[in-house]
Amino acid sequence: MGIVAAFRELDATVDAIEDLKQQHVADITVYTPTPRHELEEAVHPPPSPVRKFTLVGGLAGVCFGYWIAIWTADYWPLVVGGKAVATWIPFTIIGFEVMVLIGALSTVAGMFINSRVPKITMTVGYDPRFSHGDYGIWVPVPPDRARAVEETLRRHGAVEVRYER
Amino acid sequence: MATIAPPGRPSADLAPRPNVAAANLQLPGVRDYEQVDREIASTLQPSAGWFGALGVAILLFLWGAGAWVYQIYWGLGNAGYAPPVMWGVYIITFVFWVGIGHAGTLISAILYLFRAGFRTTIYRCAEAMTVFAVMTAGLFPIIHIGRPWKFFWLIPYPNWRLIWPNFKSPLVWDVFAISTYLTVSATFLYVGLVPDIAVLRDRATNPVRKRILGVLSLGWRNSEREWRHFARMYLFLAAFSTPLVLSVHSVVSFDFAMALTPGWHATIFPPYFVAGAIFSGIGMVFTIIIPIRKFFRLQHYVTINHLDAAAKLCLTTSLVVGCAYLIEFWVAWYSANNFEQEYFWNRVFGQWWWAAWIMLTCNMILPLSLFSQKLRRNPGWLFILSIFINLGMWFERFVIIVPSLSHEFEPWQWGPYLPSWVDISILVGSFGWFFMWFLLFIKQLPVIAIAEVKEIVPPKLRAPHPHADAIDTSGRHQEFEPDTPGEFA
Repeated sequence: MGIVAAFRELDATVDAIEDLKQQHVADITVYTPTPRHELEEAVHPPPSPVRKFTLVGGLAGVCFGYWIAIWTADYWPLVVGGKAVATWIPFTIIGFEVMVLIGALSTVAGMFINSRVPKITMTVGYDPRFSHGDYGIWVPVPPDRARAVEETLRRHGAVEVRYER
Repeated sequence: MATIAPPGRPSADLAPRPNVAAANLQLPGVRDYEQVDREIASTLQPSAGWFGALGVAILLFLWGAGAWVYQIYWGLGNAGYAPPVMWGVYIITFVFWVGIGHAGTLISAILYLFRAGFRTTIYRCAEAMTVFAVMTAGLFPIIHIGRPWKFFWLIPYPNWRLIWPNFKSPLVWDVFAISTYLTVSATFLYVGLVPDIAVLRDRATNPVRKRILGVLSLGWRNSEREWRHFARMYLFLAAFSTPLVLSVHSVVSFDFAMALTPGWHATIFPPYFVAGAIFSGIGMVFTIIIPIRKFFRLQHYVTINHLDAAAKLCLTTSLVVGCAYLIEFWVAWYSANNFEQEYFWNRVFGQWWWAAWIMLTCNMILPLSLFSQKLRRNPGWLFILSIFINLGMWFERFVIIVPSLSHEFEPWQWGPYLPSWVDISILVGSFGWFFMWFLLFIKQLPVIAIAEVKEIVPPKLRAPHPHADAIDTSGRHQEFEPDTPGEFA
């Protein structure tokens, strides 16, 4: 079970988040039509790990790009004027392009995995107004603490508070 | 800064004013998030003008497609190629469309990294333009090879022939560069659209449309977690796209620079091509965005200040391109190479003088008008100029390709070139193809990034904002202190 609250004002949402954190309410989900520094500072999340996906994808891509070019040159040698069969300067173009391709796609995959999208169905605790202009807070709470959380949300100016499960 | 205009009405912002820095631009005519959703979503309503434009684009596309079918049936001999000129309109148009795509990545990725605020309202159009331009460009090497059903031979894959492409060939580099560019650009466009598609999903009343938008939005819910990872991903995609855009036209320039042909074998080609590509793309951005802001009544989003800032970018790239033209002549003279000197003389005063002077006039001389602030802030002039830039940049590629091939080292290698009706039809058809996709795009998805515009619109507050007395660069008081778009990353 949880409580979803809708707020019209940004500062009201920030105050509600800070109050809930002082009450040691964990696992708060905040909805916002656009990213705001104020909310980020209130939630104070850990750094996004997407960069690790980027690094691994980029390294895998550059290795594959060089490997496919060198392997092909070795498999089907075109010996011209005694020049090297595996030539690193033109193969850097292939290595770079494949690095960008795999790195970019793995970055997107990292965002999907960490953001938990795509979602097949809309889960509880969401309201369409959160993409429009309102801010939202979703708090999963046990029944014995629900009343206190609801009061906190209303005290900070929530225009609607409802229980969902 | 732009004057405050009521929603749906153009701002009367043409009066001369100080030449203020226009990087961090606010939207005084946009009051709240609801207005952003309402006005941008309203651009998705089809109109008679849109149907008319789409009909014209489809007709042009069918004309070009018919010419291609004719060429496939009767052979590549109908394409106007005649020895020694065996690269013509198709390669010219390929380079032209790849170049058009570059401004989209410049505006969406490079200006994002530089935190240039004026990109916010124009980057979606520019990104879509990039994807459709590269889609168009990718057709031309396939058309040019004459047997389009064999194009997959350029792709490395295990096959029964045990044959692999030669990775030392610039044509194979092209395959990797263009396919990577198309994939990354399309990904960048799509993931940027996801939050905006979620807005449309939540506003949709038609259940079928709501369902389709629900699938396309991937179940996006605007949670802080999603935004945090989204911002990080967007930053890295921009960081990848920036060197990618520089590499793609460099690789395209290698198609020429790796040859010993006079006029081509020059180390200046990569930067020269990249600058030209960005210049031509900005021209096409003006060609597209100026009618859109007028017909969709989006003048208070794409303000005169935004156009002014983009015009400065256009002027800068024009000066770089002009400098590259002059350096080419200087290098030919300083090299004391008779063939280079002969070629460049022939380019400007010989067989192809008319094409070279179209190029120089449209790309070097006319853009100098943008030193005038009055003209930079005149959408009518910017639109007219953009048409000249498009024309000039097509002729730039003509001047690079045809005069070199028609005037090589020995007189027996010299010859004329005249495009056939098939070439011209396919060229015209490519514009139909490009605008057909673009017109379909602007009626299905937002042409302005809803979520990013909301970043620079003041949020609703209970208490007065602590920065209520902020003063902008024009000396006017502002009611709020907007975040710079993309600052979250």
